[in-house]
Amino acid sequence: MVDVREDILARLLVVVATIPNIRSAYRNNLNIDETELPAVIVLDGDEETNDATDLSMRPAHRPTVVQFMPEIIIADQADLVGSNLSIMRRELIKRVLFDAELNEQIVKTGTRGNGAIRYLGCQTDVGWMRSLHGALKAQFLFKYSMRPEEL
Amino acid sequence: MIDFSADLYDPVYSVLGVPATLSTGTAGEIALTVIDKTRSKTQTSGGVETSSVGPGAYARIPELAANGIAVGECIGAVLTFNGRSWIVREAPVQGSPNGEDLGEVRFLLMKAAG
Repeated sequence: MVDVREDILARLLVVVATIPNIRSAYRNNLNIDETELPAVIVLDGDEETNDATDLSMRPAHRPTVVQFMPEIIIADQADLVGSNLSIMRRELIKRVLFDAELNEQIVKTGTRGNGAIRYLGCQTDVGWMRSLHGALKAQFLFKYSMRPEEL
Repeated sequence: MIDFSADLYDPVYSVLGVPATLSTGTAGEIALTVIDKTRSKTQTSGGVETSSVGPGAYARIPELAANGIAVGECIGAVLTFNGRSWIVREAPVQGSPNGEDLGEVRFLLMKAAG
């Protein structure tokens, strides 16, 4: 059994937990406390294919290309929270795009296959609590071949 | 006319008020009575809800005036009460039926460095 989507998410959690100074790393935990900050949360994202327009005679179980877009949120509280988020964003992007396991074993990018990993962008949000609170939500795109016979 | 200072604020601050010190750059350190209004607060960003507190305190403008401090001078001051020190980041005037000069100011606080 090979479930690339789950493999990507599981690996992402391991990768983001290595960002320096991160105190807690979760998957899909939408309710955290200030004592857990800085925190990083991997959110299972949406995925889509182009198969809606494929009306050919291709058998239903043939492989298809999936574009999977998980989201990662980094949250912190500090006087200079903006600078902290910038540093953690930099580390996040580097770690995801350069991760050998994601590139070589799971998504199979470059000469290893027709997969791809892309950083799509991020949004930020700030507000006052005990000190300045900030969060950054980053999106990545993982393109991979889904093989129904392997699921 | 009702005297809200005597009939409302005096008894409220005598029951709920706690001693505080306010350190401003211009007037030095003064003693003050404040009401602790620190409350739980959550911030939702990108779908993730973070729980924390929104530190705050109320003080009476006549008490500030008696010490020679204008509300605007309080921003950036260090306010110490109930065992913690905070920096005043905003100080919106709350007004009163007898006029804002006889009312309260709400200190919106942030964690002091260190």
